[in-house]
Amino acid sequence: MTSPTVQADEATAEVVPLLAVRNLKVSFRAAHGAVRAVNDVSFDVRPRERLGIVGESGSGKSVLAQSILGLVRGADVEGSAEFGGTDLVAADAARLREIRGQEIGYVFQDPLSALDPVRTIGYQVVEPLRVRGVRKQEARRSALDLLGQVGIKDAARRMDDYPHQFSGGMRQRVVIAMALVAEPQLIIADEPTTALDVRVQAQVLDLLHKLADERDLAVVLITHDLGILAGFAEKIMVMYAGRVMETADTDSLFYSSINPYTLGLLASLPRVEGQTPQRLITIGGRPPSPSALPEGCPFNPRCRYVIEVCRETMPKLEVPPGGSHPSACHRAWWLAHTPGQMP
Amino acid sequence: MPPRLVARPHPRADAVSETLLEVTNLVKEYPVRGRRGEMFRAVDDVSFVVRRGEALGLVGESGSGKSTTARCVLRLIEPTSGRVVLAGSEVTGCSQRELRNVRRQAQLVFQDPYSALNPRMQVKDIIAEGIRIHGLVKGGEARRQRVIDLLETVGLRPDHLNRRPSAFSGGERQRIGIARALALEPQILVCDEPVASLDVSIQAQILNLFKDLKEQLGMTILFIAHDLATVRHLCDRVAVMEQGRLCEIGTRDQIYEAAQHPYTRELIAAVPIPDPRRERVRLAARRAPDATGGRT
Repeated sequence: MTSPTVQADEATAEVVPLLAVRNLKVSFRAAHGAVRAVNDVSFDVRPRERLGIVGESGSGKSVLAQSILGLVRGADVEGSAEFGGTDLVAADAARLREIRGQEIGYVFQDPLSALDPVRTIGYQVVEPLRVRGVRKQEARRSALDLLGQVGIKDAARRMDDYPHQFSGGMRQRVVIAMALVAEPQLIIADEPTTALDVRVQAQVLDLLHKLADERDLAVVLITHDLGILAGFAEKIMVMYAGRVMETADTDSLFYSSINPYTLGLLASLPRVEGQTPQRLITIGGRPPSPSALPEGCPFNPRCRYVIEVCRETMPKLEVPPGGSHPSACHRAWWLAHTPGQMP
Repeated sequence: MPPRLVARPHPRADAVSETLLEVTNLVKEYPVRGRRGEMFRAVDDVSFVVRRGEALGLVGESGSGKSTTARCVLRLIEPTSGRVVLAGSEVTGCSQRELRNVRRQAQLVFQDPYSALNPRMQVKDIIAEGIRIHGLVKGGEARRQRVIDLLETVGLRPDHLNRRPSAFSGGERQRIGIARALALEPQILVCDEPVASLDVSIQAQILNLFKDLKEQLGMTILFIAHDLATVRHLCDRVAVMEQGRLCEIGTRDQIYEAAQHPYTRELIAAVPIPDPRRERVRLAARRAPDATGGRT
């Protein structure tokens, strides 16, 4: 099978991706057979690229991230995830630990559970460097510098504080510092701002953006909120029921989506400016359970553009004739040539 | 059906004037742990009114006191001082027996639809419980019909009657919670973050339901939320809380188009807009060295 992401960007195809995920499938064994949480997902992350992965609960977005990092237990993972010459799917635990500590940084939703409550912040930020053999004084100096950069005021003193002495936003900054201290090339952040207040969310996103620019970092930001990706991501991948529904550069996704699910998500977002619609346009029904997926396209029971073939065959993720980017929809061609279907 | 995008005038515009809920100088203090005699003011001298038929949004960040305010209004926690009047009767200072009636008239819808419903009860019993306790509808068959009507109002089907909460998704559970609240024929719904834990596509459905309740049933809503975009969609007026104080209150347009208080402006400026071109402009403004957190 050809990779749709490469196919979509012929002009830049010669850039070697930092992370190349191919045909990734993750299934869990359950009482009534296997449950497939991630189904045939392929994508690239290029150096310095900011990729957004968006999906609702059950879309498989978090399992996808965790399986790339080797953090899912008791699951069957198929496919490959090439990172710097290593296939992360096939790599052993020791190699994965090494990569997680040094080459890929990760930031999860809840900073409290990512931090050890009985160790000082300083210890935790220094640790990834110490593991790598950096001398104590030097490691402490780098950590101090980094804590300052992520906006911890009076960092020298606060290094001796414990996680509970920090606010939620400050804790997330500490986690970001931990992810960055070993100077990785890639950060995977799964809902890093979901637990934060809106002003703190903006600060943390701006910080990630700035650090990515300054340090030539690639960032994969996983979220349920399309809104935060508008200002952050360069490329967006929309997931639903374990599958990629659409991938596009951020402007194309927001202004000329050719996937009914993406269009529905965009229409259902309330906004703080512009006209207030009398009613929000909604997607009826609810996301399917991964253990009871419908035949054909998983979105077909909720889709306003459904036709017969949607109930029978899963559409391929591909660029429709005349389209600008890949969409997994039997009617992508029609949507690409029928603008203004939904506001 | 073509989407209706033009905002219609409020059908009950003339009716929106009578004060239904009046909160005056509300204060809630908690003792600070470990410091004898020192008090923390979670709600600090808050006053506002909710008019019959309107939706008032009460917004603020975590710790701003918005939920505490709502709970004091219903006397789920006792306010330290201040006065709450609902439909002409005093809530603060009334007896436990009078409070029963107050709470029937002001029903709460919770954030977490998973923990708000008894998992061992069937939907019909969850909704009928309050009707029976308050003796609102006499007779088993009439009560059953009332429950079916309520399910229909909130967009559920009669064949859901005998199921238990575990059979429903988050959005459907929130509908059950709303049906249960409506069963008591309340004058006002007090909703504490009712869409915060729902998926984006489901959140819009529930927001539309609240809007229907307001416009078709004339329901009055006190809507507590941290998300300024959802509040803008539903609410006629908005009150902004910061550290226990009400810092600004106004109509939707006053708040979102011409906020006076710097804190309100900062909050609105931080809400992401699902429009990359707009976001690039706002980001550039935030990054500018003289950025003061104002709107762009």
